[in-house]
Amino acid sequence: MKAELLYGQRAAADYCDRSPAIDVSLTEEVALQNVQVHYALFEVPMQVTLECLPASLHPAIPAHLGMTFWRCDSGPLGAFECAWVGLACRTGIKPRHLIQAAYVTRADVGDWLQHRYGFDFQLADVHYRETYDRLQGRILHNGHTVLDTVTTQMQPVVGASAAVKYSPALNPARVNEQSLLVQMEASYAFKRVIRGTPQVLTFDAAALGDARIAPQYPMSGTHALVDITLHAPRFTADFTLPAEQGGAQKIAR
Amino acid sequence: MKFGLFYELSTPRPFTRETQKAVYENAIAQAVLADELGFSSVWCVEHHFLEEYSHASCPDMFLAAIARETTQIRLGFGIATCVPALHHPIRLAEKAAFLDMLSGGRVEFGTGRSSTWNELAGFNAGVDDTKRNWDEYCRVIPQMWMNERYGYAGTYHTMPERNVLPKPWQDPHPPLWVAVTGHGTELDAADRGMGALILSIADVERNIPRFEAYRERVKKCEPVGAFVNDQIAVANWLFCHQDGSYARQRGEEMVTIFGYMAGQTVEISEAYPASNYTAIGLLGSLRPDPHSAGEHKLPPSGLCFGDPATLIDTVRRWEAAGADQLLFMVQARETIAHEEVMDSLRLFAREVMPHFSAHRPARAAAVGAR
Repeated sequence: MKAELLYGQRAAADYCDRSPAIDVSLTEEVALQNVQVHYALFEVPMQVTLECLPASLHPAIPAHLGMTFWRCDSGPLGAFECAWVGLACRTGIKPRHLIQAAYVTRADVGDWLQHRYGFDFQLADVHYRETYDRLQGRILHNGHTVLDTVTTQMQPVVGASAAVKYSPALNPARVNEQSLLVQMEASYAFKRVIRGTPQVLTFDAAALGDARIAPQYPMSGTHALVDITLHAPRFTADFTLPAEQGGAQKIAR
Repeated sequence: MKFGLFYELSTPRPFTRETQKAVYENAIAQAVLADELGFSSVWCVEHHFLEEYSHASCPDMFLAAIARETTQIRLGFGIATCVPALHHPIRLAEKAAFLDMLSGGRVEFGTGRSSTWNELAGFNAGVDDTKRNWDEYCRVIPQMWMNERYGYAGTYHTMPERNVLPKPWQDPHPPLWVAVTGHGTELDAADRGMGALILSIADVERNIPRFEAYRERVKKCEPVGAFVNDQIAVANWLFCHQDGSYARQRGEEMVTIFGYMAGQTVEISEAYPASNYTAIGLLGSLRPDPHSAGEHKLPPSGLCFGDPATLIDTVRRWEAAGADQLLFMVQARETIAHEEVMDSLRLFAREVMPHFSAHRPARAAAVGAR
């Protein structure tokens, strides 16, 4: 029996137009200590997700998106906050998130992360705070709230290093003049993790990648105090070559 | 060593009525042939909402259909999901006993708790409690089978004294098993005197420490049932062909397709960080090196793809490692033609199974065919 496979449907040209160039020769690692990370997941409708993913990627079933906030108070990049929204996808077995929109509080940090991993950051007021009863992540862009999410009913997660798995970000980028999807490479040493139920208060879908995407069902929201090591990107994927024929390829250095 | 079949009932898109029916009918025909060939058991998973990967939402019905067309092959729940949002324990006790009665005492009762967000969220089940749910189920279900009347006040269910009917044909009850994917669950099985149904497909040698740990621990078990089911059954793949390279090529196709299908599901560990779900289920075993994407990934060494001589060696390695049974997945999304699957079973039964003493002798006509 010949099977139809479930792939994304978005044209590669849509991505190539907004692919920043990255420099894969930058291989030094950067360690960020005591970063506060908020990671909230919501299910989203499948058909819209398929229309947002390129033809090389499979969706996750159920389709879902992730909202990631980083609050870094010190370190080699200085103090900054950033956030991104990505759709869960697959190039093979490993879960990944195709980034739809990204915001950062400092242009130089945005440039640094873009040059490394292709994030197409916009400058904004990104604000993530853990309070006694909730986690609150907010993005204000040009005075307009594009994302406001809150996570409540928190509980500690025991054995966080094994329990928390962040799906790596995939960004469209130009590598050696070729437009590809580039995977962010980071490792995490967790110090403390709590988990709760996330809720979206404001979600400006157009400002977060596609006006048709709407979070529908909460999955989980976590806060982690974590040491992050940023590594040089190792994998890329094609926009059109099906995962079965291409998948994630190691970057030749 | 005993041999069984293990069904996910994966289904190719587009999901037409005809395709769905063919998947079920082909699997039943294979199980009927397996019964004639001397395979010991056929198992069926229970999964919900897992598009392509597994359309096996009602394993008890699938097994009942097989029961009435076979005479000896045992019928395994692989597994019954012991989570309140999916099943009340009384219903699982009833279904297993009913099937045991219809089949003349051929049920193997596998238990587990689901590992996907698709399923647990789909039924609005509490993720954090599934292991404790399962523990309660596997303690009360045998009591429902063994006692004329039984009532209990548990953490997740309470029932006044009732006569759960029917009782199983097997006396005192069917053998009990636990699905084992994450490391450590084999010890949960051993502590309760239950068989370990190893569903993580991995190299033979990587399994030896967990087999040894299970055997050691089960010696000191406190059985939840009336007897200790000191058994290790390991899920595996099978495609047997006289042309070993063709067998390996088709086998690797099945593993690749399985990875694609399983990869799209959302494991709990991806969706909902929880200390009772730190393993990545079946997927990890298909990925020898998580960072080797894009390079040629070798499948685990103990898969049964090859010519009969190769498979005799592979089965011997599993036997030496301590496995009592190998349970074979023989199809993935109907990628192998049904007749080729049937031929593979016949060849395996004719040329491999006789080398292992514990298998049930085949009926001559079935083995000799084709």
